[in-house]
Amino acid sequence: MAVRHLNVEVRLDTGVAVLDLMGEINGFAEEALNTAYAEADAKETNTILLNFEEVDYINSTGIALIVGLLAKARATHKRLLACNLSEHYVEIFNITRLSDFMSVFPDEESAVEEASVS
Amino acid sequence: MSDPKSARTNAELLAEFSVPSEPGNERLVMETVAEAVGGLDIRGENLERLKTAVGEATMNAMEHGNKYSPELPVEVRVEVVERDLMVRITDRGSGPPPSRGGDVPDLEAKLEGMQTPRGWGLFLIKSMVDDMNITGDDGHHTIELVVHLGAEGGK
Repeated sequence: MAVRHLNVEVRLDTGVAVLDLMGEINGFAEEALNTAYAEADAKETNTILLNFEEVDYINSTGIALIVGLLAKARATHKRLLACNLSEHYVEIFNITRLSDFMSVFPDEESAVEEASVS
Repeated sequence: MSDPKSARTNAELLAEFSVPSEPGNERLVMETVAEAVGGLDIRGENLERLKTAVGEATMNAMEHGNKYSPELPVEVRVEVVERDLMVRITDRGSGPPPSRGGDVPDLEAKLEGMQTPRGWGLFLIKSMVDDMNITGDDGHHTIELVVHLGAEGGK
């Protein structure tokens, strides 16, 4: 079974830097994820949104990469949000307590709306 | 004390296979196990939990047991014993088997850089199945994942 390497596109939505994640978040994803995060971090915004709509697999190494992004965001006082996680990965974000430190939204619209009022 | 031989007569083998220890092969094992349990009442979120546990156990076997040496296989056995689904994943690790571990990782410490951001695998496995056992001998380690096949078909 071929690994679906991660591709990431970075864009702005109403002042929020959105990372559109496409593929698998595993050990192969580190460079793509960190490069895209740096691009988003350079934009003039305090909020970065991880859009998981096109992600079908996150393993424990991928969880560690997301922890790394969260640590970077905290160090620079930026908010990191997540949206479009499947039911299964919402459960995993809950049991790992990632969702205690990064709010999880059902879709991009609700995430951006929350970011604009807080 | 029950007779192990008589207990085995109630075992139904669903699949037995192996994969080389190459990064990404945990996906192959996840999908093959999912296909093998297709006739059981494990669906939806319960199936996703089983697949995550199988994937993480396979990654541990490839990484820690077999050091990602492609010539070293990870062997997988899927069977139903009584009312339990058992998935046994065996590597060629030597020395004492790893401890069950699986305590809740300290996310705050990881975010503060006081701990490595890694170390989620055993915790995820324990969280996804009803029971987990790790055994080993001189040349093998086996992690056994157990899902009770109750009325709801799993955890």
